[in-house]
Parts: sequence; structure tokens; C-alpha cells
Amino acid sequence: MADDVSDLVLDGNAAAGCFQEIFAGDITIALIQCEGCGSTRPVGSLRLYAASMGAVLRCSQCNGVLMRAVNTPHARWLEMSGTRCLKL
Amino acid sequence: MNDDTPISRGFGSGRRAQTPKDRVPPGQYVTTDFPVLSAGPTPQIKFEDWTFALQRGGSLIGKWSWEEFEALPQTTIKTDIHCVTKWSKLDTVWRGVTFDDLLKAAGVGEPTAAYIMAHCDGGYTTNVPVADLVGGKGMVATRYDDLPILPAHGGPARLLVPHLYFWKSAKWVRRLRFMEHDERGFWERFGYHNYGDPWKEQRYDGD
Amino acid sequence: MTVTETATTLGRRIEWQVAEVNEIVIETPRVKSLLLRVTGWQGHLPGQHVDIRLTAEDGYQAQRSYSIASPPENDLLILTVERVAGGEVSPYLVDELRAGDRFQLRGPVGGYFVWTVATRGPLYLIAGGSGIVPLMAMLRHRERRKLAVPTLLLYSSRSLEDVIYREELNVMAEHDPNLDVVHTLTRNQPAGWVGHRGRIDKEMLALTPPALANKPHIFVCGSTPFVEHVSNLLVELGHDALAIKTERFGPTGG
Repeated sequence: MADDVSDLVLDGNAAAGCFQEIFAGDITIALIQCEGCGSTRPVGSLRLYAASMGAVLRCSQCNGVLMRAVNTPHARWLEMSGTRCLKL
Repeated sequence: MNDDTPISRGFGSGRRAQTPKDRVPPGQYVTTDFPVLSAGPTPQIKFEDWTFALQRGGSLIGKWSWEEFEALPQTTIKTDIHCVTKWSKLDTVWRGVTFDDLLKAAGVGEPTAAYIMAHCDGGYTTNVPVADLVGGKGMVATRYDDLPILPAHGGPARLLVPHLYFWKSAKWVRRLRFMEHDERGFWERFGYHNYGDPWKEQRYDGD
Repeated sequence: MTVTETATTLGRRIEWQVAEVNEIVIETPRVKSLLLRVTGWQGHLPGQHVDIRLTAEDGYQAQRSYSIASPPENDLLILTVERVAGGEVSPYLVDELRAGDRFQLRGPVGGYFVWTVATRGPLYLIAGGSGIVPLMAMLRHRERRKLAVPTLLLYSSRSLEDVIYREELNVMAEHDPNLDVVHTLTRNQPAGWVGHRGRIDKEMLALTPPALANKPHIFVCGSTPFVEHVSNLLVELGHDALAIKTERFGPTGG
């Protein structure tokens, strides 16, 4: 069992399969820019939370939510309000 | 799943055979672990900075410091909890202040608004109908198994609404805001069911 | 990184395929390698992983990710799985699965945590427990392509019997003057042990050969606490945070 939530954190790379269902391609090597603080990083290098419910990708500088992806039996959801831009 | 899906011989039979059907909702399996799940890093909160509030409209109708909160009537319950990721944990023991006692302490008679939104450190939110909190159905818990709730599990305090999927039992809760009209919280506006009854398997929006 | 082989990873919608177990190899008391035949497999890059999905007779499904242990040059796809006590999927894969069994598999995925010979070196690999798996794909690829890139593997395990691929790593290092394999055992060490003892620390990380001094490509893989601990130390030692690629396996590391 995890002692701390930080034990559970994965990398953006771990959600590659989940994102690839939506993007039809591998976005883990794409660069993503945070709407909150402007920092730019490869998606695969960012911290990924809540992997079992969806994929919550957070900025490594300001911790803001950049992107969320959820796959349900009814739909695929993608929310990117925290992303200023994504360079594929 | 379709006709071509290969069946994994022998997978899962042992675990699910031990499941007491009347206590475990459909699609769940029982765990003796206590898995941790979070949408963000664990907030590090000092007790001297912690406050809890009830909000209606633009004003706080009740606000307590940690000492004041601990001085409120305490209730201990033993209950089962069910996570939407399919694990269930039976006979968990929690202690805290029931929603009914919070309303009493704030001097609120009958709550006039039908819904609340829970607001938490780290920005998480979840919405719950008031009808699902009164009558002892919901509490703000500060102890698990007689010990202070660990930060990873939502301490200092978390909302506890065990008859709904556990994402509604918001960790690191700080404020319950009354709402006239229902609004969707963090997971509810993003693929998950607005209500979340495990016995009806209301996991996702559209179920 | 030049991605000349990206046809296999980018721009393709991935779908669930069927994997059939060809052979099972015991690596350590807790770890087995599954050699799989996947019809229509289009290849992968070292470091990538797959998602696997098991379906029970009543339709219940569970999904997990596992790093690919085999290099792209291999005929069969190899996944190396560690049994996590109390887990739902790994005990099934390690204790129940037999040759001939089938399950669903999706991938390869994850183009970020990848190293190919096209990237060149120097190469600094740091593994904690089952974190060795994707790094082994990289080492096997490096060996098959006979690329003499200066490489160091620093590998942390609980005890000698828990070291996955121990013999193969010995042989690799013996035959390759450009490859160093350094072990640390954290819980117990056999009599006469000359390797490191205890958790990886700054001193162990700093002990790199001169060939690795110039901006190595660094890959760290293991449990989340392991990866965070090692990454922080590497940054303290002066390595560029952006040159460190990490793959966190979560709390249990397997």
C-alpha cells in the first residue's frame, strides 16, 4: 500500500495507451505548454495522477491540471483547459 | 467485449468466490488493503491553519477551527466503502461530526438548499444532494480506525458518504457550499455519474 | 532524439490484439518472463510498454501496463512480471498462466521513455527492482546492434536471489568493455559480497566512469519513491533535469 499519495504518482508516459485512444497517436513525446505558468515540457515527463480513474496530468512547475482524459464505456472524455498549446 | 475476446482461463475465480453478495455491490471485489487514489499531490496542512466552513450564498453560516471542530459532538460508525475502481472494503470504522450535527452547530434548522458542493484543499470538488447527507448518512470524518486519518487518505478531515461511490467522500474537505441547483464536481463533469449509487452501478455518465 | 523508427509508434490508432503464451521462464522466486506470440505485431522501440487486459468467464475485466523486456530484434515479445502480494493481476500472470493461454494486449505505447542506438550515448541506466525491465530491452537492443556506447547500469535489488536477469547481465558485461553493471543489495548480501550495500545514495550515483562524464542520457525506472529519490540526487549531483527520463511504476514498483 502506498504510504503517501506521492507514491502513486506516475509519469505522463504511463497513460500513453489511454491518450492514444483519443489522439490516434503517441502524444507522450509531444510538448505541452501550461496555461497557468507557461512552462513547456514533454507530456511523458509530467506527473500523472489518478491513473485508475482517468489520467490527470499536472504541470511540473505550478502543479496546475494541464489535461485530463477519461475513458468510459459510453464515451472518451478529454479536457485541456489547462493547456495553452500542444505541439505534436 | 465481443465474441473474439479471449477468456483468460482461471482469472479472478478465487477472489470473487469470497465475495458476500448482499454486502458487495455488482462489479466490485473485496480488498483488505486500503488503496489510495488522488487527482493531485497530498496537501500538507497544519492543524493551526485548518478551518472548516458551511457556506450559503456569499456568506459562511458556520466556521470552525480545528479545536472547535473537535469539540463538536462526535459520532463513530462502522460501514462498508465502495470505490468506482472496483474495490470494496468492509467494516471500516470512522469517527467525526455528522452533517446533522454540523447543521445544529451552525444553528440551521431545515436546510433550504437541496445540494452541496464540497470544496477541498488541492482544488478537488464533488457534489452531493443534501438528502444524502442528513439523517446520519453523511459526516465529516477525522478518525479512521481510531487514529487520525493519514494525509494520503484525506486527513485532517474528509467527507464521508459511504452509500455512494467513494469519490464522493471528498478528501481534504474544507467547505460545504449549499446550492439551490445541482452543479457537477471534478469527476462528475468529466465522464463520471452525477449521483454514483454503487448498488445501481452508476459509475459513469450515461449509466 | 532522432525518431527514425517512428512509423511503429506514432500516428497509428492502437487496438487490442491477442497475445498467446509461447513459453514461461522463471527469473527469480517472484518474477517470471512471459514469451508471447502476438499476431500482427508491428514492432516496438526499447523502453515502450504494453497494456494487457484479462477477461474472466463472467466478463469481468482487469487492465494493467507492463514494460516490454525484449528488444525489437526479437521474434517473440517478452514481458517480465513480478508477483505483487495481494495484487489482482500479477499473481495470475506469475502463478496461473501456462503456455497456450491467451489474453488481450495493446501497444506498443509510450514513445517518451525510449532509447535506441540512433540516440547514441553515453547511457546511464538506473533500476530499482522490476524497474530493470524496460532498461533490459534497451541493453538487449544495444547488444544486438553491437553498438559500443559507453553504458553504466546501476541496479538496486533486495537480495542476490531477487536480481532479475543476473546471469545474462554478467555475461553481457564480461563480453563488453564499454558496459559496466554495478549492483547494490538493500536487504541482505551474501558472504563475500563486493558490490554495494543499501539504498542508492549520492556516492553510488557519482561513481561513474570517465566515459559517462559528458552529458549522458539518463533513464531511471522503478517504484515511484525510488525514482523520485534517485532523480533528486542526480539533480543535486549536477545532472540536467531535462536529461533524466523517468518511468515510475507506482507504489509497489511492479
